[in-house]
Amino acid sequence: MRRVVRIAAYVPAGRSNEVPVAALDEDEFTLGATATERAWAAPREEPGAVVVHLVGDVPPAADWGYAALLGREVEVAHHGSGSGELVRALRELEEGPGGPALIVAAELPERTPERGAAKSTASGAAAVAYLLKSSEEPGPFPLPKGSARGSAVRTTLRLGEPSKEAARAVTLVGDWGGEPGNRRTIERKVPKRTVDGELSVTSEGAYVPRARYLENLPSRWRFIAEACSACRGTTFPARGVCRRCGRADALSPVHLPYDGGRVVAVTTVGKGGQPTEFDAQVEALGPYDVALVELARGMRVTLQVTDSVPGELEVGDRVNTMLRRLYPMEGEWRYGRKAVPAHPSRAPRKRN
Amino acid sequence: MGAGHTRFGVLDAGPRALIRSAVDAAFASVDRGAERGDVSEAFLATLGFGGHQIGNSSAALAEEAGLVGVPVTRVENACASGGFALRAAVGAIAAGSAPLTLVVGVEKMTDVSNARRRYWLGVSGDTEWERLAGLTFAGVYGLIAARYFAEHGDASDALAEVAVKNHENGALNPNAHFQKAVSRAEVRAAPRVARPLGLYDCCPVSDGAAALLLAPPEVAHRYTDTPVYVDGTGAGTDFLAVQERPELTRFRATQHAAHDAFRSAGWHRSDVSLLEVHDCFTIAELLALEDLGFAGPGEAPALTLSGATRRTGRLPVNPDGGLKAKGHPIGATGVSQAFEIFLQLRGQAGPRQVPWAEHALAHNVGGAGATAAVSLFSVG
Repeated sequence: MRRVVRIAAYVPAGRSNEVPVAALDEDEFTLGATATERAWAAPREEPGAVVVHLVGDVPPAADWGYAALLGREVEVAHHGSGSGELVRALRELEEGPGGPALIVAAELPERTPERGAAKSTASGAAAVAYLLKSSEEPGPFPLPKGSARGSAVRTTLRLGEPSKEAARAVTLVGDWGGEPGNRRTIERKVPKRTVDGELSVTSEGAYVPRARYLENLPSRWRFIAEACSACRGTTFPARGVCRRCGRADALSPVHLPYDGGRVVAVTTVGKGGQPTEFDAQVEALGPYDVALVELARGMRVTLQVTDSVPGELEVGDRVNTMLRRLYPMEGEWRYGRKAVPAHPSRAPRKRN
Repeated sequence: MGAGHTRFGVLDAGPRALIRSAVDAAFASVDRGAERGDVSEAFLATLGFGGHQIGNSSAALAEEAGLVGVPVTRVENACASGGFALRAAVGAIAAGSAPLTLVVGVEKMTDVSNARRRYWLGVSGDTEWERLAGLTFAGVYGLIAARYFAEHGDASDALAEVAVKNHENGALNPNAHFQKAVSRAEVRAAPRVARPLGLYDCCPVSDGAAALLLAPPEVAHRYTDTPVYVDGTGAGTDFLAVQERPELTRFRATQHAAHDAFRSAGWHRSDVSLLEVHDCFTIAELLALEDLGFAGPGEAPALTLSGATRRTGRLPVNPDGGLKAKGHPIGATGVSQAFEIFLQLRGQAGPRQVPWAEHALAHNVGGAGATAAVSLFSVG
């Protein structure tokens, strides 16, 4: 038996007429991944595979991406969209044999109008993740009445409104939207088409073979560094050898924090200054910021900045990080962490 | 004992023709003449930009230089290839294996498509982190400049002065890619490529080649009465990605290279009266002055704005226009720096001749400071 111990949400910072809209570098996988990171408090006491039920359509990367994101073996199951499917997944997992499980529902109605229809377009882009853990008490999940219809994400978000029943059963984490002044938002136009065609790259991009991309995911997605017990040095990105003393036999993985990094340096890459694989992005969105960010233990990482006004970020600012699309290569999107300013926007400016 | 140089810029000539021209010019420059048959070893500095004879290009050099049969070694350390090739030649001579040695640097960059050119411009940086974040070298140097400003205050005036000075010098160099002076206002009004760096803070993409003939001193004296001596060399490396370095505003590879070069030559900084430094971006010239030990941390802007680094100043820097105005054909640059020093120390630099120079330094950087080579030269 399992029960829900935590529910987290992620609502994109972009707004169009107050409706959340995703950025061009977001998709159902990145939305779900961000909600998942907020829900996931690594249940180390329960080894073994994590069961992940995905509600709604997801990009192909979701099939292997959750394993890389959690650093655990993952068994993925797919459900259709809508809150009926969410309830079905919940019942299935609650009655299952045990071990940690996740339900992730991500919706991008503005990108898929043929499926979303007018009603869910009005509710905007968002994702929720449910974390379930083994428990002998089958706690009934307090779904609102009539929840078997409509958007799975919206059904969950309604739980975020003060509800004693919900608060008893679960811990709510993340952005629930609609709370003025609570978080930064950016005015953004709804993309007219899906992005896959728009952000295609030329064949002349920097060639990072898929195998190298996958090999580096622990450092790229999870900020895994290596601590050396011989010299007390830290190496990031992890490379299997201590960059300080050169020993390879005294390393253990350490997880650098995703949030609260400090900007060591930042530049705004203008038209012509970008690598070719970012040509389509610059064409669609204009210049972008790239920051060198100090995470912890003096370890630094170079990250593109997103959900920001280019030129706004300054040395010394704090940033959080989120998984986002980088660019497509070899027929699939490459994903990596990008920095998001942690401070509220200095001056509200419009951005497409 | 000899040095040759092609025009730098957008040229019709291909890489083989460029090699031929530079080598012919180097032989022609030897005061009492030298024969191809005298050469027993050669080094080729090139990145193979755009895929020009990317493998086994040493054989192409042997063909074009009339040296088929002679051992040739290709040296590739990105933009520092030339400096490292020179160092390898000096080492071969010191080892007694090469009485007369040829060093050639070449790059052909302008005959490939825009997309392909920009791809190749990035291949010498960190691909898996910096490039995936959206950085080219302009972006990496933009980060470095931003950090420099954060540590030492806004240095925009000094960056603009570097561009103005080097363009002014380039205007007197018939081999330079840009032979046109620019004003500080023009530099500052140019579009930004990577904040705070603008278009005039960046060196151009150029074709070109340069060649040197080196020999042990006793051999060189048979060919000329005024050889230029290589008194010391040094080189160093650093992490490829700047995210792994403890500081952005110092290139440890340069510091290491300078330390070794000065130690091997037994020189002091005050001995040096002429610098050829690697100014691929204007900020790089400021970093070079500090890393090489000619200015303290944060002091290069004041030194630059004082006029000391102008051609007529007390420490002329890049009298040939530097990479900024002369151009930067990747593999050729380090060899071209030595060519300029060869002319300047022998008083053959014409209108751009510095008033007085007996000891000169060449500083050549690969990428954003991941590799660096320094050589010290004297005359008389």
